Amino acid sequence: METIVVVALTISTFATLCGVFVKTTRQIIRLLSIQAAAIGLVELMFCLINLLTGLGFEGLIDFSATFAEWFASAAVSPLIIYWGMVKTENMSDKPVVSVRRGGILLIAIIVSNIILCIFTSSFLPAKIDALPFVALMFSLSVFITATQVDPLKILVGLNMAENSLYPLFAESPLVLIPFMLGLMIFVNVVGVFIITEAYRDYGTMSIKKWRWTD
Amino acid sequence: MYSLLPLLSLIVPFSIGILHLLLYPFWFLESFFKKIEKIALLSGTSLTLITVLSMVPYILAGGESARLEVPQLSLYANSTNIAGVVGVALIFFLASIYNVKAEKGGRLKPNMYNFFLLLFLCCMLGLLLSHDLFGIYLFVELTVGVSVILVAHNPSKLSTEAAFKYLIITAVSALFVLLGVLIIFILTGSSNLFAIINDTNIQTRLIENPLFLMLAVACFIIGLGADIGLIPFHGWLPDVFPGSSIIINGFFCAEPIALILALYKLVYPFYRIYPSNAIIAMMIGAGLVSMVSGALLAYPQRNFYRMLAYCSIDEFGHAVFALGLLTSSMSFITGQFYLVNSALMKTGMILSLGSVFFNTGTGNMDLLGGLFGKMKKTALSYIICALSLTGVPPLSGFYAKWLLYNAAYKFLLDLGGILVAVLALIFLVCISMISFIFLIRSFHRIFMGQTAENMQKVNEVHLTMWLPTAVLAATSILLGLQPNILLSLIGAA
Repeated sequence: METIVVVALTISTFATLCGVFVKTTRQIIRLLSIQAAAIGLVELMFCLINLLTGLGFEGLIDFSATFAEWFASAAVSPLIIYWGMVKTENMSDKPVVSVRRGGILLIAIIVSNIILCIFTSSFLPAKIDALPFVALMFSLSVFITATQVDPLKILVGLNMAENSLYPLFAESPLVLIPFMLGLMIFVNVVGVFIITEAYRDYGTMSIKKWRWTD
Repeated sequence: MYSLLPLLSLIVPFSIGILHLLLYPFWFLESFFKKIEKIALLSGTSLTLITVLSMVPYILAGGESARLEVPQLSLYANSTNIAGVVGVALIFFLASIYNVKAEKGGRLKPNMYNFFLLLFLCCMLGLLLSHDLFGIYLFVELTVGVSVILVAHNPSKLSTEAAFKYLIITAVSALFVLLGVLIIFILTGSSNLFAIINDTNIQTRLIENPLFLMLAVACFIIGLGADIGLIPFHGWLPDVFPGSSIIINGFFCAEPIALILALYKLVYPFYRIYPSNAIIAMMIGAGLVSMVSGALLAYPQRNFYRMLAYCSIDEFGHAVFALGLLTSSMSFITGQFYLVNSALMKTGMILSLGSVFFNTGTGNMDLLGGLFGKMKKTALSYIICALSLTGVPPLSGFYAKWLLYNAAYKFLLDLGGILVAVLALIFLVCISMISFIFLIRSFHRIFMGQTAENMQKVNEVHLTMWLPTAVLAATSILLGLQPNILLSLIGAA
């Protein structure tokens, strides 16, 4: 793996990790944007260089697809969630797990991923050498999803998990990208629609208070 | 044989759905559309059913080797999926008849509601017909997204919490499916399942990386398992059933056919390439845990929708268990027969209970009773479908259970000898007995005994609401007496 790719993946992993600790919805949306921007930037730059050096139609298509992908995950999805926040509230809260327990769980996630990285490094095919980073970011994102009570933060966690698959996703056929982007935006719109409706029904953004009894 | 019919069966519901969507900006047509919305949906589902049925003669005539295909889009209809395709289209057709009187409006405007229902149908047919890994992923995610919106359509408070839970669990699980698809694609360079099965170079590349192949298969089982509602990823299902409107629950009965057959489609090719017992263990394990827990958790429920949710988990478990007996030649035939039959019977039960909810406004079985005299047709349809689901002869469920026990016995006889096989059979019969007990008990609690005072004015529902359930009950009797009708579609007659 090239150094620049490692740096980009490290930045996005760090942004995901910070997502565990932030308090407000606005902060976590910013982190989502940073994570997505960092993770796709290297691929975007490669495509730009290919376009500038080759000046071919194929390069232009490649660049356009990568740019659309990068823009959708770094700008469009965060903006949809931000719109949800505007319609509801910028909630400031803590995760459902205590700092101590959360810390232990995070350390366990990071250590197990490092062990996985060491174990798989000898036989990892070159095309999926970013898998350890993907696994770590994915685990952290699922951790965010599982430990937050603000539904918008949960939705951000879901987006971070989706973004974490980007290094593998970049290998997928070009023709699928519009569909994938459409789906990503669709899921976010559905999520925000449900959250705003639930906010109207329950008058709160804490999913703990959304519980109903028969 | 090259044929546009598989593509047409997707285009028909999709284009009719788009027509509904295009009406959305024309607010002045809203009052007119309200008058024809139900007929428009019914015409969409009936046209789709006709298109789907038009594929059947070709496949029946050609036997196991017959295949209608659009290779450019990896869409194939053959004996492995035509029963599922017909089952889904039939359930949608019957549910849209029920929809005529049962749908009372909700959060979505009528044209959006129709658009999402037809898109839902299109996604499920796409999931069944597509043999491309990325195609399957796209249809899985779209199916989940659309079904979440349909849950939220119910104007009650329950729906939003259920829909959000459903969205998050299934969206995370869809990422597991994507991860599995990407691993296979990166390793092989191909996403077409037929190419993966038939190309020896691709197979070699997969066999050289067994760990990643197993990781991909595990991702498929976890991802689709959560979308289906298998234990331990079932958290959303018992909330979604009471949270959705009565008619949406009817449409949802078609979903497991598409998702469970998609799971088989994703797992079986890789088992053929790398026949590891771990794959069988994962499939059978998921099936067994779901059937045991589903049956045990359904028993104490007071709300009939929650009872049916756990009963569904039990049924999904049976189907996944049957499909997971990968070494047995009977596995796929049994699994498919079981799946299609249980989906049809569950539709009958859910629509019957929907009629009870429609008339009484409650799903709490403690508050119900004595409705048999007032809703005879609904009650009879419910009990016939329930008896069929539990495997009572001469109904279709008996044949499904018979096939399942046969397949399980043969599989376990080879694996662990006669003692293990017999013990496993006793165990499976006990699970069926639990289902039998709680379903008969529910019938007794809802329809028998004294009528509560506030239920005195309850009457039978409209013809459009009891007719679909009666058709499903009749189907159960017909398939019980002539199982070859369904078996010939599966290619096993």
